[in-house]
Amino acid sequence: MGFFVLLPLVLPLTSWPVARLAERRLHPRATTRLLVAAGVVLAACSTLCLGLLVVVGTAQLPGNPLPDAWSHPQVRAAVPYDEILGKAAIPALLALVTAGGVTVARHLRVRRRVRRALGGLPPSPVAVLPDSEPYAFALPGNRRTRARVVVTTSLLDALEPAERRALFAHERAHLTARHPLLLLLAELAAVANPFLRPLRTAVTFGVERWADEEAARIVGDRRMTARAVGKAALIARNGPPRSLPALAGAGQVPRRVQALLAPPPTARLWLPPTTAPGLVAGLAAWLAALGAALSALSSANAAVALVVILQAATPL
Amino acid sequence: MGETARERGRRRGQGELEATVLTALHAAPGPVTAAWVRERLGGGLAYTTVVTILTRLLAKRAVTREKAGRSFVWTPAADAAGLAAHRMRQVLDNQSDRGTVLTRFVTGLTDDDEQLLRSLLTQTGEGGRDGGHDRAPHPATGTGSRTGSGTGTEAPGDDAEGKSD
Repeated sequence: MGFFVLLPLVLPLTSWPVARLAERRLHPRATTRLLVAAGVVLAACSTLCLGLLVVVGTAQLPGNPLPDAWSHPQVRAAVPYDEILGKAAIPALLALVTAGGVTVARHLRVRRRVRRALGGLPPSPVAVLPDSEPYAFALPGNRRTRARVVVTTSLLDALEPAERRALFAHERAHLTARHPLLLLLAELAAVANPFLRPLRTAVTFGVERWADEEAARIVGDRRMTARAVGKAALIARNGPPRSLPALAGAGQVPRRVQALLAPPPTARLWLPPTTAPGLVAGLAAWLAALGAALSALSSANAAVALVVILQAATPL
Repeated sequence: MGETARERGRRRGQGELEATVLTALHAAPGPVTAAWVRERLGGGLAYTTVVTILTRLLAKRAVTREKAGRSFVWTPAADAAGLAAHRMRQVLDNQSDRGTVLTRFVTGLTDDDEQLLRSLLTQTGEGGRDGGHDRAPHPATGTGSRTGSGTGTEAPGDDAEGKSD
């Protein structure tokens, strides 16, 4: 398998150009779907290859539960720098599995707490909370409770009726397009391979743009939607101080407003727009897809090779 | 696992109980005792449970109480929605990374973002006006939006263009 086992660990780098370029050149729906799909494939392949290295590394440890023959020099020869890589892979895999578990647990815990907070209210699709802090978010449903939109009175009061429609259309778009799931997948991918962190940031922004575009389509007014987003951000600014997620990234809201004030993006992803930046973004998207495909092939190659070698090394 | 599931159920139950007790208090003709609340709820709860829930609501400032003879009488300060809002604020404030879990309508703004956003909103024809009357207690924002719309329209736009490329 040679260096093929290492390739998927660095191929996530191919997602950087599209994560950086795509946000305003391509339609956010196509972009976000592409990014999440590429991220999941790249993360899965990267984790698989790390697992293969762990097998080789564990076989070298004294007293390991694997068959003795697996520490055969032939097996070790299959991995470059097997001494270092094999042993380094063990804590790395443990750390990322733990971090992944923590991430999933945190998502479920926040959702559970939010549902519990809404426990006493009638199960309407929209929960309006009397609060001086202006906020709104979409809460995905589960087996027992339906998905709902949570919004505070202070935010609603600051918006005009048409702008409120844009707000609700935006939040419902998050729910119908299953954005919470996409965000979780992107975050897990970033946990599996740190090179996928820019991709996660791009997905975080991409789902907001996607919901903005949906809202603009539903209310039929891009300026109105831009105004709703902008006004909500400005009144949230004057709310009580609190620690904001650093992840949110400075400039997200202005970029969303700018994009809404610009003409709607083309929905086609594979036929690149005729402008030069659009062409570059299209090529970047292809590069990420290519990286994901290459990653899948190399990890499959490495996995098959290791299985063959291990079978050959195992005495019958 | 079974224990945590039970624990979860118990706590959700508490949230619902708090709301039920609050609703009962709202239906009361005036300040009432815990015994009145218990009777109103059909007597399915122990007296001490009702008092515990009322005390917890008091800590959340959802109810007030005053001494009347040997016991307390209780008055609601917030309704079920108000209580939910209070609990939600606690959840959100404890969640420093909430942005990654919940898809929030808007996220935070830096000072530069705010400038840029105000100049963008003036393009929509309403932003400047709203910036004025919504934030009457903040005189600085009014002037900020004026200067922003007058001189800063080009520069921030170019800036953001550069950042995204």
